[in-house]
Amino acid sequence: MKFAPSTALAVLIASPAFAVEKAEVLTTYADIAHAGYEDSLTTAQALQSAVEALIADPSPDTLDAARTAWLAARDPYQQTEVFRFGNAIVDDWEGKVNAWPLDEGLMDYVSDDYEGPTDENDYAALNIIANPQVTIAGRDVDASKITPELIADTLNEADGVESNVARGYHAIEFLLWGQDLNGTGPGAGERPYTDYVTGDDCTGGNCDRRGDYLKAATDLLVSDLEEMVSAWGADGDARQTVTVDEDAGITAMLTGMGSLSYGEQAGERMRLGLMLNDPEEEHDCFSDNTHNSHFYDGKGIQNVYLGQYTRVDGSVVRGASLSDLVTEADPALDAEMKARLDTTMAALGDIKAAAEGGFAYDQMLAPGDEKGEALIMGGVDGLIDQTRTIERIVTELALDDVAIEGSDSLDDPNAVFQ
Amino acid sequence: MRHLFLFATLFATPLSAGVPEALDEVILPGFSDFAEATKALSVAAQADCTPEAIEAPWNAAFDAWTQIGDIRIGPSETGALSVAFWPDTRGFTPRVLGNLIEARAEVGTDPEAFAEASIAARGLFALERMIYDADFNAYAPGSYACTLVRTITAELAGQGAALDAGWDGFARVMLSAGEDGNTLYLAPEEATRALYTQLLGSLEFTADSRLGRPLGTFDRPRPTRAEAWRAGRPLRNVLLDADAAVAQARALAGFDLPQTDAALARLHAAADKIDDPSFQNVKDPAARLRVEILQQHVRALSDTIEAELGGALGLTAGFNSQDGD
Repeated sequence: MKFAPSTALAVLIASPAFAVEKAEVLTTYADIAHAGYEDSLTTAQALQSAVEALIADPSPDTLDAARTAWLAARDPYQQTEVFRFGNAIVDDWEGKVNAWPLDEGLMDYVSDDYEGPTDENDYAALNIIANPQVTIAGRDVDASKITPELIADTLNEADGVESNVARGYHAIEFLLWGQDLNGTGPGAGERPYTDYVTGDDCTGGNCDRRGDYLKAATDLLVSDLEEMVSAWGADGDARQTVTVDEDAGITAMLTGMGSLSYGEQAGERMRLGLMLNDPEEEHDCFSDNTHNSHFYDGKGIQNVYLGQYTRVDGSVVRGASLSDLVTEADPALDAEMKARLDTTMAALGDIKAAAEGGFAYDQMLAPGDEKGEALIMGGVDGLIDQTRTIERIVTELALDDVAIEGSDSLDDPNAVFQ
Repeated sequence: MRHLFLFATLFATPLSAGVPEALDEVILPGFSDFAEATKALSVAAQADCTPEAIEAPWNAAFDAWTQIGDIRIGPSETGALSVAFWPDTRGFTPRVLGNLIEARAEVGTDPEAFAEASIAARGLFALERMIYDADFNAYAPGSYACTLVRTITAELAGQGAALDAGWDGFARVMLSAGEDGNTLYLAPEEATRALYTQLLGSLEFTADSRLGRPLGTFDRPRPTRAEAWRAGRPLRNVLLDADAAVAQARALAGFDLPQTDAALARLHAAADKIDDPSFQNVKDPAARLRVEILQQHVRALSDTIEAELGGALGLTAGFNSQDGD
């Protein structure tokens, strides 16, 4: 009897022996990330070829092909956003490729009613394509040659302003579509192919520099994605970060799912735009591709939970999943999570279907448009509900005392007194 | 066995700890006060729309807001944004207000219709521009802008009343956490955790945004990114918001929080050393340092509450609306 209490205690606190190993779940997670970034890279390389064809021979067809390639490149990329939060290696890098919103006047010409320099940003209308010599924050900048280095080192986030987005998907999107001047009415950006025609037929001015910019920005996107593919490779540091400590890795998975669902997608990207009624407050505002961008963000969250990802070639990466892990702990909680992810995907699917049927996302943002509001809030509500279940999973898996980089919300409760 | 028993009781008590107290002592009276303050502001504006006449009741309404304004659950999940749209990183408020005034838009004359207008033109921060920004505040009685101010205040009073009523209903949801039929909070501790997340989220927002935004970087401070700087409220808001977070923590705890009280006192002492309550002098390294120290005290207060309250109740914060970029 002497040992009874301590034996009882040991039984009480010993971890349940999971048949599903956390290490396997994390391997699946990292494999999905790697595949997602690889797909993002190959589709960006296709975009790179299409952009070169556009610049070599500008025509309605080559412009259309470049736009189609851009749209195709977005779908796999958006499914990787779930890997950002909770993993500083990804989150610190992400701003290079997907920064938004942007003051596009930094790069190229804009309409007359575009706000010039603002309280927040002196360079909102800098127009680097038209101005080879500029001054930024008191420093003379020689922009006579537009190179990936100029964009990366000098223009992007110029003067420390986040909306000075000079690189990444949305910069390229602006160069392919131009501003969407239709407000909350139908239609996307209508940049003519002649913006890339050199010589007398050039429209918008400085067509050669615009082509240089588009080429440099696309090359930069490809090299940025190469970096992330390697970070999730066998010895990559992004993979190491989530696999070195299993509980921290599982927490990173859940942090990524919860932060993207709630603060980022439901809050910043969907509800805020709706409440501002501003058509520029949509994520892919030049191309009117926001419905897909939201849909595939949601899909990425579901992928991580279910441990499966369908690649652009149709093959499937799958393995031990978070769902398996939760099922062992509490099957009802797993069912709740799956059902809520399904509800969200149905709501995001409704937005996508409506947009593809001709009711674009920016039209849904119009003041007093009840149909649009109901569609968007359906997605918001689904995302908020699924966040609550993600919190329950954190509690159920007893991960709540794991400190995680990149989330203040799942912080270390045992912080010392200061 | 004695230790085991103690272990069990420690974890048995806190399940729904403090939710009724936090609601009854802080949150519900807070929303009631805000409703009254916005009503008083609207009454004042209908009598006299000029900036001089509405400045004091606007500040009183903002003071009331700080006591419950950072909560983002229940009716406040969506409702808070249209009361206080900040930060306005892309200059929506001046643009939308300017467009309304230039077009003499009809929506700006009708409080009911105005509830459908962009949040950038509604609430406390739109009024701050109308009262304090020289680009907007020179309007005459009888002008469109005067009518617009009356509309904004009336619509804000409507929001205040709606939040107050909404919270009376939502309080019942929180209080019935874990009961059959409550699909939002499946266990009592989920309601406790939700409130706990809110107060830590408020302190995080104060440190990162209310203080972090004007601080910018050492090379590039950003004084005009301070919250309500035109009204001279940045420091006041930091202190009132911190006081409110601590009041919520105390009510939630139901026991003394001496470490937290001490941390709050240190925060106030650090604030006393700040010369410019608008943080407009953060370009001066000495002034900047004092704001940085205040920011450290806000973070220290948050850590203290996590240890003293969260630790005792076995609570960890959930996701909050600031998570993300």
